[in-house]
Amino acid sequence: KLNVGVDTVQHGVEGLTYLLTESSKLMISEIDFQDSIHVLGFSDELNKLLLQLYMDNRKEIRSILGELTPKLPSYHSLEWRLDVQLASRSLRQQIKPAVTIKLHLNQNEDQTAQVLQTDPSTLLHLIQQLEQALGEMKTNHCRRIVRNMK
Amino acid sequence: QRFRFCGDLDCPDWVLAEISTLAKISSVKLKLICAQVLRDLLGETMEYEKILKLTSDAKLELGDVKATIAVLGFILSSAAKHNVDSESLSSELQQLGLPKEHAGGLCRSYEEKQSSLQDRLRACSLRLSRLGSVGWRVDYTLSSSELREVNEPLVHLNFHLRDGERDKPVAIPMVLSADKFRVLLAELKQAQAMMNTLL
Repeated sequence: KLNVGVDTVQHGVEGLTYLLTESSKLMISEIDFQDSIHVLGFSDELNKLLLQLYMDNRKEIRSILGELTPKLPSYHSLEWRLDVQLASRSLRQQIKPAVTIKLHLNQNEDQTAQVLQTDPSTLLHLIQQLEQALGEMKTNHCRRIVRNMK
Repeated sequence: QRFRFCGDLDCPDWVLAEISTLAKISSVKLKLICAQVLRDLLGETMEYEKILKLTSDAKLELGDVKATIAVLGFILSSAAKHNVDSESLSSELQQLGLPKEHAGGLCRSYEEKQSSLQDRLRACSLRLSRLGSVGWRVDYTLSSSELREVNEPLVHLNFHLRDGERDKPVAIPMVLSADKFRVLLAELKQAQAMMNTLL
């Protein structure tokens, strides 16, 4: 329909893609965008169209680009059980409690699971540390940063 | 305020918020919806279209229907988890603002299925691996490159497990001499005797 070769169309698409993603990535202003494409020597009408295309789509392009960052495994769910070891081959009459935890993680649509085991006192220590970490959010230092980010 | 069916903790805010949605449905229809949710919790298929039909009279939006299913699922499984009896559950739900007939219908459904629900929850509890079956074979070694007349029995064991960590079937083969096998058997019998004292 455009009466040009397949290669030309492909290069055209690639060029437009690059222009839009780079502009959106760097979040350049209208004036900077206009100045940049002016160098290419297109007609005024084409320049206006390109600018409009950029302004209309940059928010969406930015949100898609934001999702492309590498992600660490994230929490999905947790299963646990509490057992008591009463005897083993070497020693009878024991009382040894243990907590077994299966941590389900999500990483880029992959589900993995880690199995961990701990005794109750280590578990309490873990909970204490995590609550301390949550408590950090309430310190003045963190509050100041959060306020400045908004 | 602490609730037994929440494990002696506060009731979650979202549950509190949905109690008023439950009250919009008639108590008879609520009991039928409970029956469907119980089917799902017990591992059978829930008939979602029936639930949609039952909630259409109360003019609930799709979001409210899903919330109803979620809150009923929570109440029933949490009550079973903490072994709450039917009357206590009814009184606690009424404290949260659920009308008496609704609480009564819900708790009657709960009571019927309480032990099945607890059995199902017990079966779903975390297990790292499960023994499926044991295959065995006894061979008799006649001779080897080291000794011309060996004449010894040999036991082959193959433990078929379902690995809990990766949820895949695993086979563990091993070979034991007669003496080693006798030791293994004696130790396992001692472990079995210990288990029987606990049952």
